[in-house]
Amino acid sequence: MSITAAPVSAHGFDAYLAHKRRRRINNWLLVACSVALLAWCFWDTIMFDTDWQRMGGALGIGGTLERFLLIDWSLLPKLLVPALETLMMATLGTILGCVFSLPVAWFGAANVTPSKYFFYPLGRFLMVLSRSIHEIIWALLFVGAVGLGALPGILAVAMRSVGFISKITAEAIENIDPKPVEAIRAVGGNQFQVMYYGIVPQILPVIIGTIIFEWDINIRRSAIMGLVGAGGLGLVFFRQMAMFNYGGVTLVVLAVLVLIAIGEVISHYARKAVI
Amino acid sequence: MMPVTTTATHSMPAANRKWSRYRHPESTIRFAVILAILAFLGYSITYLNIDLSRILGAFPRLVEILATRYFPPDMNYVSDADFLRSVLRTLEMSLLGGFFGVVCSIPLAWLAARNITVSKRIAYPFGRFAIMSSRSIHETIWTILFVTVLGFGMLAGTLALTVFCVGFAGKLFSDELEAIDMGPVEALRSVGANPLQVFQYAVLPQVRVAFTGIAIYTWDVAFRAATVVGFFGGGGMGWYLKRTTQQMESTRVAAILLVIIGLVLLAEIGSGWLRKRIGKMR
Repeated sequence: MSITAAPVSAHGFDAYLAHKRRRRINNWLLVACSVALLAWCFWDTIMFDTDWQRMGGALGIGGTLERFLLIDWSLLPKLLVPALETLMMATLGTILGCVFSLPVAWFGAANVTPSKYFFYPLGRFLMVLSRSIHEIIWALLFVGAVGLGALPGILAVAMRSVGFISKITAEAIENIDPKPVEAIRAVGGNQFQVMYYGIVPQILPVIIGTIIFEWDINIRRSAIMGLVGAGGLGLVFFRQMAMFNYGGVTLVVLAVLVLIAIGEVISHYARKAVI
Repeated sequence: MMPVTTTATHSMPAANRKWSRYRHPESTIRFAVILAILAFLGYSITYLNIDLSRILGAFPRLVEILATRYFPPDMNYVSDADFLRSVLRTLEMSLLGGFFGVVCSIPLAWLAARNITVSKRIAYPFGRFAIMSSRSIHETIWTILFVTVLGFGMLAGTLALTVFCVGFAGKLFSDELEAIDMGPVEALRSVGANPLQVFQYAVLPQVRVAFTGIAIYTWDVAFRAATVVGFFGGGGMGWYLKRTTQQMESTRVAAILLVIIGLVLLAEIGSGWLRKRIGKMR
C-alpha cells in the first residue's frame, strides 16, 4: 500500500506529501473507530452480560473442566455404530444435495439457463437462501414437515450443501469451452446430448472435487443432527450431556475428531484419484 | 490422461492396438469403487430406515406448513425493543468472535504453513492440529461445551464463535501463506533476520490484502453462526428462536426466521461489497 497513485499537480511534491498525510490520518481514524467499537462490544457483551458470580471463579471452572477431562472410556465400544450412522447421514445428505443442486446449477448458470429473466435470478436466489439458513434451522423446519428421525437431518444437510455445490457447478458451467458444445449442435445433437457429451465431461472433475469437499464438511454437520432425533454421534452427545456425564461428552467429541480425520484422509485420496 | 502419454512415449505401432472403452486396471477399479459407493448408499438407506417417497413429499409438505401455520409472520414480536437488543448483541458477538478468531488464527496459520513455519517437527503439526480440531467440531457443540463450563450468556457464545473463526480463518490463512512468493523470505533469511522479522517484512506485505478479505468473510460466516448460538444458551437472538419453537408459536418463529434471513443477506451483500473494494486496492 506504500506506493499509491500520487496526484500529479502543479504543487508536485507538496501535494504528494499532503496526500500521504491525509491517508495516514484516515488510517488512524479507521483504527481508532474499530478499537472503540470492539471495546464497546467487549464491555456490552462480556463484562456486562456475564454472570461472574455463577461461574464461581477459577476454582469453579477448574472443577467443571476436571469433570470433562476424566474421560469415560467405557463408552467407547458403544460409539462405533453411531459413528457409522453419522457417516451414512453425511453421505446420503451429500448425494441428495447433489441431486437438488442439479436444477439449481442449471438455472443459475448464465449460459445454459432456460430463461434469463425468470430462472436465472431464481437459481441465484436459491443458492443464497440455502447458504444463509443455518443447518439447525433447516433441521427444525424439516422436523415440522416430515417428523423426527434420520430423514430431517439428511434433508437439512442436503439443503445446506445445495448452495455451495450449485454455485461452484454454475461457475464451472459458465467457464466451459463452448467449442465442443457448438460441434455437437452442428452435427445435430439435441439438448440432452449437448449437455451429456458437451458440458458434463468438461465440468466433471471440478464437480467431483467439490462434492468430496462438501462431504467432508457434511460429516461435521451430521454430527449434530442428533438434535432432531437423527441418531448418530450427535444423539449420543446430547444424551451424555443430559446425563451430565461430561467424561462421555469429551469422548464423543474425540470420536467426532477421529471420524473427521478419517474423512479427511479418504477425501484426500479420493481427490487425488479424480484429479 | 496417463494412458495417452504412455502410448506416445512407447513406440508401439498404433495398428496393433485395439481401442476399447474398457481399459483393464483403471476401469475395473472405477467400477468397483462406484459399486461400493452404491452398495453403501443402499445399505444406509435401509439401515437408517428412510422412506424415499417421503423425500419428495417433504417439500410440498414444507410449503403447506409454511403457508398454513407460519404464514402471517408476527412482525410485532420482532419489532419489540428486547428482540432488537438481542439482534444488536448477536452483531456484537459476531464482531468480537470474528476479531478474536482472526487475531488468534494468524499466529496459528503461520505455524501451520509448511513453507514458513518455525519448526517442521513441532510447530507445524501443532498448528495443523489446533486449526483442524477447532474446524472439525461444529460450532453448536463448542457453544454447548462453553455454556456448560462458563454458564449461559454471551461470553460462552463469543468464545464458541472465536474457536469457530480460528478454524475457519486459520485454514484459509495458512492456504494463503503457503502460496506466497518465497523470494523475499529467503532474501531476509539470508541476511540474518529472525522469524518474526521475516514474517513482518517478507510475508505480511504479500498477504495483507488477502488477509483483510478473508477477515471480512470470516465475520460474515461468524454472523451466520451467531444467529443460532443463542439456541444453546450462547446469547443473542437464537434464544428467542428456541423459546418460540418450543412453545410452538409458529408465526413468531416465522418472523424471527425472516429477520435472520434478511440480516444474513445484508451481511453477505455488505461483506461482498467490502471485499470487492479491498480486492481493487491490490
